[in-house]
Amino acid sequence: MTILHRIRSVAALLLRRDAADARLNDELEAYVELSAAERVRDGVPLEEARRLAMLELGGIEPVKERVRAERHGASLDELVRDVRYAFRMFGRHRALTMTIVATLAIAIGANTAIFTLVDALMLRWLPVRDPQELLLVKLQALDAKQPSESFSYPIARALDDQREVFAGAAGFSSYPFDVGERGSAHRVSGAVVTGGYYETLGVMPVAGRLLRRDDDVVGTAVTAVISDGFWRREFARAPDVAGRSLRINGVPATIVGVSAPGFAGANVGWIADVTVPVAALPQLSPQAAPLVGAGNFWLRVLARPRLGIGATEAQARLNVVWPRIADSLIAAHWPASRRQAMAGAEFQLAPGGTGWTPLRALYMTPLAVLSAIVVLVLLIACANIASLLLARASDRRREIAVRLALGAGRARIVRQLLIESVLLALIGAGVGLAIAVVAGRFLVDLISTGRMRVVFDLTPNWHIVAFTAGVALATAVIFGIAPALQATSVAPAAGLSDDARTSARRSRLLPALVSTQVALALVLLVGAGLFIRTLQNLQRFDPGFDARGVLLASFDGRRASVPADAVDALRGLPGVVSVSVSTHTPLSGSTWSEPAVPAGQPVPERDNAFFVAAGPEFFATLRIPIVAGRDFSERDAADAPAVAVVNERFAQRFFANGTAVGGRLDANVRGRRRRLEIIGVAGNTNAAGLRAAAPPTVYVSYAQLAGDVPTTIAVRATGPLGPAIAAVSRTLGARLPDEAIDVRPLSEQVDATMVQERMLATLAGAFGAVAVGLTCIGLYGLLACTVVRRTKEIGIRLAMGAQRSQVIRMVIDDAARRVAAGAAVGLPAAWAAARAVRSILFGLTPADPAAIAAAVTALGAAALAAAYLPARRASRVDPLAALRHE
Amino acid sequence: MAKLDVPQGTLDLMILTILAREPMHGYGISQRLAALSHDSFQVNPGSLFPSLYRLEQDGKLKAEWRPTENNRTAKYYRLTAAGRRQLEAHRQRWEQISFAIASVLEGA
Repeated sequence: MTILHRIRSVAALLLRRDAADARLNDELEAYVELSAAERVRDGVPLEEARRLAMLELGGIEPVKERVRAERHGASLDELVRDVRYAFRMFGRHRALTMTIVATLAIAIGANTAIFTLVDALMLRWLPVRDPQELLLVKLQALDAKQPSESFSYPIARALDDQREVFAGAAGFSSYPFDVGERGSAHRVSGAVVTGGYYETLGVMPVAGRLLRRDDDVVGTAVTAVISDGFWRREFARAPDVAGRSLRINGVPATIVGVSAPGFAGANVGWIADVTVPVAALPQLSPQAAPLVGAGNFWLRVLARPRLGIGATEAQARLNVVWPRIADSLIAAHWPASRRQAMAGAEFQLAPGGTGWTPLRALYMTPLAVLSAIVVLVLLIACANIASLLLARASDRRREIAVRLALGAGRARIVRQLLIESVLLALIGAGVGLAIAVVAGRFLVDLISTGRMRVVFDLTPNWHIVAFTAGVALATAVIFGIAPALQATSVAPAAGLSDDARTSARRSRLLPALVSTQVALALVLLVGAGLFIRTLQNLQRFDPGFDARGVLLASFDGRRASVPADAVDALRGLPGVVSVSVSTHTPLSGSTWSEPAVPAGQPVPERDNAFFVAAGPEFFATLRIPIVAGRDFSERDAADAPAVAVVNERFAQRFFANGTAVGGRLDANVRGRRRRLEIIGVAGNTNAAGLRAAAPPTVYVSYAQLAGDVPTTIAVRATGPLGPAIAAVSRTLGARLPDEAIDVRPLSEQVDATMVQERMLATLAGAFGAVAVGLTCIGLYGLLACTVVRRTKEIGIRLAMGAQRSQVIRMVIDDAARRVAAGAAVGLPAAWAAARAVRSILFGLTPADPAAIAAAVTALGAAALAAAYLPARRASRVDPLAALRHE
Repeated sequence: MAKLDVPQGTLDLMILTILAREPMHGYGISQRLAALSHDSFQVNPGSLFPSLYRLEQDGKLKAEWRPTENNRTAKYYRLTAAGRRQLEAHRQRWEQISFAIASVLEGA
């Protein structure tokens, strides 16, 4: 039989079910008539003949039922009836249905929201041609633990040239630009890319053309491609945008075209609104000129293998080619050992269709933890709903008993109950999906409080819808199966007896479910406590400098662009305490290191100390204590003897106690051998990260540092920061019309290093609260049920002279038993879970007493609150009424 | 003689065989089946009608309402081309089976 035929008959059935039923009726009546007529012919009286004929048929309805079961789509037909029935039940138990749907919506919404982030960060293909073919290029050096994903510009270009291996290679790196006319320049996130970038990825232009290899040539006029979003926002989709001029960092560039909508760079989470060739970088940012050299590894490379060869083959070919071309691509000024290590390195090609992002490494652990958390929330929700359904199942006992007695199979009723569960789950999932869309944006905002604005496409795609549907179905089975089986396990006669509600066998499942919820909630609460305490510890941690009241103004790196009178002008502002310049600020994410040793010792090849070039008042502005000697001053100018301040860690490592000041250092500073005199010792600062130990640090005089170095102005101000920020921006903006002045509190820079911890603390706290709320509902439901069931017993006790307080105790004890049972399982589980996340904790152990005590107290208090209402109701039972009841 | 139930799986074959001669209604089929089997087989309407419906849905039979000899209307079934092919296939298989069974019984 053809599929078409089957579909037609199912359709016909659904459309003309009633008509078909009527015709079947006619046919069976005809059968009876014919049979009766023949008996009449044999001499049987008419009435008797009809009775016999009907007997032979066995009744019209049973035959009809059997024919219906033969029909195609019969099961579909039953499904439709079950669904209708389910909706009638929902209407009858509106409050319960709403509670269940809301619980599911929150739990599924939380799961979908986290999954949305996982999807956006890890699973989404780049919107390019055949993304699954793209490979991320990595280089495993002999002496490195992990392969590096960064390449120099010469290597990225050389990879693009390997036509025996690749159809093309795309080197790229995110890069911010100041875009716009003098005075109205604003900061735009952009990218610098190699010439083969767009062709390799297979991105199409919507206007003009995209960058080509001949755009990526040093010395040619600057060309740029803008994103579709930028075209819409800045140019109102002007059709003649290609060919227009755009000032980037004050340099006129030509827009050659607009990339296709949806594509905003290969760095996931970082929008590239303006993309320029790497070769244009020296013109746009002179201080970034070294990036085009062989010594800087900063470009990520996605490559597309040549047609017909796979990743393995491409990798093998590349590793054959590399030793032959390595020599000319490795920086000539590198020491021989480093050159050798590089030439001996091996390329690895990993799947790259989802692009590249530093966020993946950063958020892998937090997202794994969050996924575990939302799964726990979902399990609590399931336990909660299962207990609600169990409680209702005792109400429905009579209805189910009637249906069983009328001959419905147990499987049929279990199916009916499961269909109700699935429908509830799907409705909950629908609402949850809507919640997830909103919650997803909130999550991205949480991540975005960092240094970089993270932008994700969070529109639900089929991954997310499929994930949500899958979660919903799994949920429905988990919370639906036990109540369904229990509800149908009753013998019809028992279920129909008058006493069905009160004498129903005590379910052992319900208390177990509530204890499970307590255990799961405890795990969540302990986790939330640990993450919140970790964040608090980080916030209270003294990093060796004082960020409060300090503002930072960054310039796109360049000393040359800092107006000479800027520092003096800022010093004159009201409320400003001190102002200083430096190349680096603590926790900015950017660091500089060099080798430095006491004079006379051989200077090592490898860097051994952090370096910062700082001007006068730097230590005062950041409140880094000078523990010996003196601070930099105006006297430490370019023509004065070269001086340095070292931190305590450096001093301890290289000098006997107290002898550092006056000592001399030999160091390489920006490629030049310098001898420095130590004039002071400063306190340690955790400049590279709060969790990392304070690195040995050498501060050199900013004025004595040659060249165009990155520069940040730090301003310590008293009073509210808002007006101070405005005043600093105004003062600098007047002097730097080409730059987007970015003035931010140093505390923001410090906070940015805690983004993951803050995200975990916030979300774990929120989910912990949800878990406690759900558990309370579950506990309340159980106790309320128990009190109703034991009304008669309570009445007898009261009549026999029991005190009302004893009755209250009875209910509270019941609650305490459930909580204790839950805690007995939950606490060891929490401890095991905490050990698994040990690496994210800061300043506490997995068995942190404060976190555990807080969790137990919170849950105990919540349980007490949940027990209050049922306990009060129990204490108000009227003995006479209770005994008369039934 | 005791009445036999129609062996499992053979009712379709018998229905198709009976309808191959001429179109017939449900009651007629059950009567004809009884007559042809010398009253050995008794088919329960509760089995007959579901079979008829399934065969009709599968396109092996076609049905129409026609007056009977004694002026009632009844639903007459007749074989379609697909029904004829099915009959042929079933009959061949049945003959193989019965030959095989007979061989086993005689040879044992």
